[in-house]
Amino acid sequence: MRGLVYVAIALGLTIVFGMLRLVNFAHGAFYAIGAYVGLVVAGRFGLVAALIAAPVAVAAFAVVFDRVLLRRFYDKEPTSQILVTFGVAIVVEETLRLIFGSSTLPFPIPDAISGSFNLGFASYPAYRLLFAAGIILVVVAVWYFIEGTDYGLIVRAGVRDRTMVQLLGGNVQLASTIIFALGAGIAGLVGVAASPIYSVDPNTGFSFLVPSFVVVVIGGLGSFWGAVLGGLIVGELGSLTTLLFPAASDVVIYVAMAVVLLVRPQGLLGESEVIKG
Amino acid sequence: MKDLRFYALTALGLVLFPFAIHPIGGYGGLATQILIVGIASIGFNLLLGYAGLLSYGQAMFYGLGAYVALLTVSRFFPQHPNFWLAIALAVTFVSLVAVAVGMLVVRLYGIYFALLTLAFAQMSYFLVFKVFDNLTQGDDGLQGIASPPLALGPWSIDLTAPLPALALGPFGDLSDIHYWYVFVAIVTFGVIAFSRTLTRSQFGEVLGAIRENEERSRFVGFDIARYKLAAFVIAGALTGLSGALRGLYETSAAPDILTVDTSGNFVIYTVVGGVQTLFGPLLGTGLVMYLQNVISAKTDAWRLIEGVIFVLVIVFLPGGVLGTLEKRRAGRRNIVTNALRTTPAEALPAAGEATR
Repeated sequence: MRGLVYVAIALGLTIVFGMLRLVNFAHGAFYAIGAYVGLVVAGRFGLVAALIAAPVAVAAFAVVFDRVLLRRFYDKEPTSQILVTFGVAIVVEETLRLIFGSSTLPFPIPDAISGSFNLGFASYPAYRLLFAAGIILVVVAVWYFIEGTDYGLIVRAGVRDRTMVQLLGGNVQLASTIIFALGAGIAGLVGVAASPIYSVDPNTGFSFLVPSFVVVVIGGLGSFWGAVLGGLIVGELGSLTTLLFPAASDVVIYVAMAVVLLVRPQGLLGESEVIKG
Repeated sequence: MKDLRFYALTALGLVLFPFAIHPIGGYGGLATQILIVGIASIGFNLLLGYAGLLSYGQAMFYGLGAYVALLTVSRFFPQHPNFWLAIALAVTFVSLVAVAVGMLVVRLYGIYFALLTLAFAQMSYFLVFKVFDNLTQGDDGLQGIASPPLALGPWSIDLTAPLPALALGPFGDLSDIHYWYVFVAIVTFGVIAFSRTLTRSQFGEVLGAIRENEERSRFVGFDIARYKLAAFVIAGALTGLSGALRGLYETSAAPDILTVDTSGNFVIYTVVGGVQTLFGPLLGTGLVMYLQNVISAKTDAWRLIEGVIFVLVIVFLPGGVLGTLEKRRAGRRNIVTNALRTTPAEALPAAGEATR
């Protein structure tokens, strides 16, 4: 189940990296904003409203962030881009902490979907099944957007050669903003959807962010299917070790990362040009 | 002659520092803490400022340094606790870890480097916290491990002892300062001298060349990965030294010193003070830690304020406090030498400012 959360978060990281060549340390903050907005909206208008409001709010926040701050750093070296996203991540996390407090907040599952499904061989909480189906739907939708639409064509071409796409009349600037908002929106959506399973606290975004970095490193930074594959691997490795050797369950993914780096530094499905810049 | 003046002024600054912060709400212990952390920031600056490598994993070296130093005293050699041995083992162990991690990460592009150092630090956090919890006491951490006295030839100095009482008016009392400060100030002096020598050496020049243009440096014939690895290990060793001092000074270490927040702090201190400047990291460490001390006594929002300061510095003072000041001064002094000193892209705006 965690694996699916990693897939969704890593997906946002990886498409943003592909398009903007930006590693976004604030991506976990997007997840956290989504979770808290979801918590507030769900309390008043229900979970469905929260699932719509949170991604929209987070995407809007991302666009403002991009226009006001990030834009100044487009032509600077990558390290200063990381620094500014890191700074914003702190500001967001601490703002959430001031508003909602440091304690872990529960996110109740609506009664209608709080039961279990009988799958024949085992019963499984209904919400988790819906969650899994939802993530798969998101992955397919994003894949279709990038691979199947004209807009996705501009995005993919922009990754290859920004200047050329601009000369041909494609609006790379706008495409970048859209991709950034899309990645953020996914993080916000997952922030809501995963919260009934993992509850909400101000650190929650960051605690998902670091494993998601591991996911994109294993899968290959910038690779769409790499994020999916990496997320599933990391999720499974975590679950298996929890069964066999619980103390090491948090360490095993980093060991996997180190092994991948030794054998295939660009990641399982990554392109080698990425790691050299 | 110039060297002599530099070192004399540095020494004078370190002597006056704990008294200077007294009237504005600082105290001797804070001065000691600032210098200890400052050593790690100086190391981090060698990495980020001179080699251009942004590490989000310095907490790994800092935390491991603290743990190894304390374990040396309490577990490895409890019969003969020795201050120097604790420091030496900590720095050696951390340097070896830095070599191992460095070999995996320095060949990779800058963005990857930040991700991977962060991930490895997180790994060391879980290793200390969960896997080796027999040794490290897990969540509780190591507590109440008194630092052995500092053996110096025939003498044995208790670092926690205060200096003789002597009232100094608004600058406090000489006895506010413990021997810890004296020791740490001497170490800091050494680290500053080391950093200055290193950045002015051929090694420092090559690192700068790699930072500015990696490809060209490679074609000129430098073994880039080896230079980067050397910078990574030197920074790691200094951070390990800083962590060892911190562990012995605080007499404790808990897993939270290995978290991302700690790594992030070195980034914040160094960037706020000024990367690529000799005293920037120390200044930033002092400035931020001092503000934290003053502000967090009054409000819970300290970390938010810290984040805002950090973002403002990145946006409006890209060279950090000291970097911006130095650039201003250089700009006024002479446009030509300024242009020669910096890369063309940097020199242009500075020159424009000066003529205005």
